[in-house]
Amino acid sequence: MEQSVKFTPFFLLGCVLILSVLIGLLTRRHDKGGYGIQVRSIGHARIGAAIASNWMSAASFLGIAGVFFLHGYFAFAYILGWTGGYVLLLVLMGSQIRRFGKYTAPDFVEARYDSSVARVFSAIIAIIISLIYCVAQYKGIGMVFAWMLGIDYTEALVFGTVVTLLFLMIAGALKASRNQQMHYLLLILSFVIPLMMIAKKLGYNWLVPQFSYGSALRDLPAKVSIDYLYPWTFGTPYEWIALCFTLMVGTAGLPHVLSRFYTVPNNRDARWGVVWGLFFIGLLYWSAPAFGAFARSWLASSGTELDPVAAQAMADIIVIKTAEWVGLNEILVSVLAIGGILAAISTITGLLVTGAGAISYDIYYRLINPKASERHLLLVAKGALLVLALLVLVIAVNPPGMIAQITAVAFALAGNTLFPVFLLGIWWDRANKYGAIAGMLVGTVITFAPILFGHLLPSLRAVLPPTSSALIGAPVVILTIIIVSRLTPPPPDHLRRFLVEKVHSP
Amino acid sequence: MLPPTEPAPPSREDLRINFFHPRPGFMRKEVTIIWITLAAWAIMTFGIPIHLAITHKDPVNTLAEVPYIFGIPAYFWFSGQFLILWFIFLCFFFNVLIDWLTSSYRRRR
Repeated sequence: MEQSVKFTPFFLLGCVLILSVLIGLLTRRHDKGGYGIQVRSIGHARIGAAIASNWMSAASFLGIAGVFFLHGYFAFAYILGWTGGYVLLLVLMGSQIRRFGKYTAPDFVEARYDSSVARVFSAIIAIIISLIYCVAQYKGIGMVFAWMLGIDYTEALVFGTVVTLLFLMIAGALKASRNQQMHYLLLILSFVIPLMMIAKKLGYNWLVPQFSYGSALRDLPAKVSIDYLYPWTFGTPYEWIALCFTLMVGTAGLPHVLSRFYTVPNNRDARWGVVWGLFFIGLLYWSAPAFGAFARSWLASSGTELDPVAAQAMADIIVIKTAEWVGLNEILVSVLAIGGILAAISTITGLLVTGAGAISYDIYYRLINPKASERHLLLVAKGALLVLALLVLVIAVNPPGMIAQITAVAFALAGNTLFPVFLLGIWWDRANKYGAIAGMLVGTVITFAPILFGHLLPSLRAVLPPTSSALIGAPVVILTIIIVSRLTPPPPDHLRRFLVEKVHSP
Repeated sequence: MLPPTEPAPPSREDLRINFFHPRPGFMRKEVTIIWITLAAWAIMTFGIPIHLAITHKDPVNTLAEVPYIFGIPAYFWFSGQFLILWFIFLCFFFNVLIDWLTSSYRRRR
């Protein structure tokens, strides 16, 4: 069964991709170009659906269930980190950065810190974040295509990259925009309906599987049940808190999350959109652990032994495996697989386009060739997109961890660099370019030191786990920015006046 | 005093923005709302895990001693389901207060 090509998901995927391009073509006239700012007012729920659609990646769709399948309660650190971060974002930065009036992280950093060097640093960091984020998505695509086509992971990865680039080229050539609300609806239905059917097959309350998975956990053999329900079986309290905190500050510092605050008509709509966005994201996160719990339930009830290596290998597609194991209808299994691929493809295309834009504008135009024409910059962007796609492909051949874990490293980098720079840029007039540059450098070192030197210094990895380094990293970077800013001249008065008059006024 | 045609150079105090020493008026009230929301966010998110880490070190005893909701340990339900609702409520609460604050200051202007 593993080795055969599954035609149903393949056929359905083709239909969905064509349909999404067609819907994008039909709805594109409603969007304005540039940053896709919608000029007419739309409801808060629709803004929320767009926020959720933008957020839902392979890490949410496939990754969380996988972590819960392996690590039980520990997975809640991911769920709470990725939802609680929106509270931080809304409360500390959303309105203020919007009032500042800059649409991207490099734009904000340059304007606030009056430094093109700081801008380039933030652009490089944003590109690295996109790259890491994309690696996790590629892993999801590779695993789902490997399952779908019955081929090796690496071959499936290459195939998935080709499909993604083709989709991007066709959608780009036709200038089709993504209908965010439709996209969200498609993803959430393709996640929740199969889950309800799985609960029904296993004999649990299928109307609210988000609650009934608790019964499935209780029904597990005592040892397994205790392991899953006890908070510290798979990680220490420090690891749990550090991970949760890192994902929260990472969410608040993630460039593509922050940019959602500009894609709606006004500040108030953006704020209320977050409430709905969180609810829509919550629908997915309330459901995701249920897949892991039902998978364990099926394994226990069928008497199937799964060794830890095999469990680890398949954890990232456990949502699909669970549906397959319980004998769900082939179409419903396919729907889950397609949802995973769609979530990954939409995230990759968004990140690659943003990353390529940062390379062509923030680095090539601003640093290398300021006289470049628009046509020339477009060519550079296309070339950069291809290079980024291939670079991610090479890294994703040997993925360094699970989908959620790889994604968490991107959040750690955002939390250790951009979050402190945004935070102090808004809330402390004295923060200057020297502090910002020093902070971003220190934050980058803190993020990557445990990954690069962790094998030489295990204690470094214990204190600064690669997925969770911002609990210590973010405060250290904030302190660095404060000290360096204090030791160097203050920012120009016009910037500080702007903060007083525009950013911190009603 | 400078003639009215030349804008007076504002003093450093006038340009001060500091989260821990907010400017009087709108910013001070906004920061108060932020502090309340952040406190509710931090205590609820990290309070329960810290409490569990201090008081419950043994898996079997923990599951025997803790209260249960919907058939699962209360802390498990709290982290897996309630806290997301809590975050939604906090965003709602924050928005209502900021709306009220913004409109009252805009009216005053």
